[in-house]
Amino acid sequence: MLSEGDWLALWVSIKLALATTTILLLICTPLAWWLARHRLPGQALLEAVLALPLVLPPSVLGFYLLVALGPSGPGGWLASWSDARSLAFSFTGLVIASVIYSLPFVLQPLKNAFSAIDDGQLDMAAISGASPVDRFLSLVLPQSRQGYASAAILGFAHTIGEFGVVLMIGGSLAGQTRVASVALYEHVEAGDYASAHRLAMALLVLSVVMLWALFRWQRRSQPGVMP
Amino acid sequence: MSLDFDIRGELGAFRLQARGQLDDTGVTVLFGPSGAGKSSLLRMLAGLLPSDGTLRLGEQVWQGEGARLSPWERPVGMMFQQPTLFRHLSVRGNLQYVVRRRGGEASLTAVIEQTRIASLLDRSVANLSGGEAQRVALARALLGSPRLLLLDEPLSALDLGHRESLLASIAEVGRRVPVLYVTHNLDELLTLADQVWLMESGRLTVLGEAHEALASLDSPFVLRSDAATLIEGTVSGFDAQDHLLTVTVGEHHFLLPARQAMPQGKPVRLRIAARDVSLCAQAPAASSILNIHPVAVSGVRSVGPGQSMVQLELGEQSLLARVSSRSVRQLALERGSRLFAQVKAVALV
Repeated sequence: MLSEGDWLALWVSIKLALATTTILLLICTPLAWWLARHRLPGQALLEAVLALPLVLPPSVLGFYLLVALGPSGPGGWLASWSDARSLAFSFTGLVIASVIYSLPFVLQPLKNAFSAIDDGQLDMAAISGASPVDRFLSLVLPQSRQGYASAAILGFAHTIGEFGVVLMIGGSLAGQTRVASVALYEHVEAGDYASAHRLAMALLVLSVVMLWALFRWQRRSQPGVMP
Repeated sequence: MSLDFDIRGELGAFRLQARGQLDDTGVTVLFGPSGAGKSSLLRMLAGLLPSDGTLRLGEQVWQGEGARLSPWERPVGMMFQQPTLFRHLSVRGNLQYVVRRRGGEASLTAVIEQTRIASLLDRSVANLSGGEAQRVALARALLGSPRLLLLDEPLSALDLGHRESLLASIAEVGRRVPVLYVTHNLDELLTLADQVWLMESGRLTVLGEAHEALASLDSPFVLRSDAATLIEGTVSGFDAQDHLLTVTVGEHHFLLPARQAMPQGKPVRLRIAARDVSLCAQAPAASSILNIHPVAVSGVRSVGPGQSMVQLELGEQSLLARVSSRSVRQLALERGSRLFAQVKAVALV
């Protein structure tokens, strides 16, 4: 079985993924709506920047985040409000980094879901007496269910799988910033392959289960959403 | 409450300009070629497309004078060319969506019955046929106590049986609120229209009362092969042996086949297709045609190679006859000519 330290690392990973996914769903809903339903100048550049985490080596992102979250960056300034020197090497710092790192995985499915909503449906909802907020809640959300499921699972799974960024800014403090992927790396470093095997298997099973749930759900809900 | 509007709008290079008034009740049919801007006008009236100018329903200003009501604030029932049912909801859910926001719970049962969708209520909208989807969309437009009904080719996907009963439902709504109805179908126009409007390249022309608009030689209808006129009369008798109904139009009596008697004095509309009217100089002594009436020519217009449309006065009302241009020449037809019209077929609408 997993050691207490590995359980703790797994728990930190899950806590981090939950926090990141929740924040991302909140941020990406208006952002994806805006990107999907409007054509504005500068949009292509913005989308390129938002998609950067897809192509950038995680260590590059991690390095910049380390600088930004450190004592002399904006993160340090933010941290000074709560009597800390820096946001690097803290759980909060990890959440901020993960939000940036996993953003495209949440943004893209939501954007696709919002793009797929027919203008006629929105017009008809307006004619039926629904205000914009009402339309979003009563029409856009239910018609984007699948997009939200994909976004949540991809965001969660991608955050669990995060390694390079965490290594740069995490600092591997047990119970705070030591996530499962980093704990696994440390087992290998220490030559403890038995522990490494167990933790790796746990992560593998967790990932397979999440993706299986996603694809199974997508398959099931497809026919009902077709026009 | 009547709808008054004077609006302008631009859609890319297309400009739309329309000014008119919808009476507080009655069905106004909006006619015109594809791409003329009929659907856009409906969308502007509903507030779904931006437009400048003024628009008000009775005393309520929808647009202009510094005000602008959003689409969800305008009490409009509308049906697009596509049924556009909410795809995440069942048929019942689609109806409830309107009722929950606009009210009108009381009319739910009646509307479901009128549109004959009771058996569809629990179905997913994805599995409806084109005609079924249109009936549900019409039901949704009728719900929520709209004070204006905008219908864009609402019956195009329906078979004849359903079409007739739904036309009756729409006509009934037209007795309470103004209805603007887009169609290319002359049958629907003949059945429903009180007023006729024409839209051509973004400009609206008010043609006036349906029976006048149809009989006018200036209207685009005379160019159609199915051009027809409406005659208003009253039922005055029934011959049970021959199943013939007598309808009196001014001093003239029309006989038409009918299954059963109708109440004496009931006002009816007769439809007479221009191609079913022929002309002769003298009344034929013996003819299989039952309806032969003395008429006076009030106008002649060429409507195609070798084809002419002759406008005839029958008492106070007008008839059209589609004849060959050679006949016009041989009979020396001109304004004021007096002759006899043989009407081969008359139908009640």
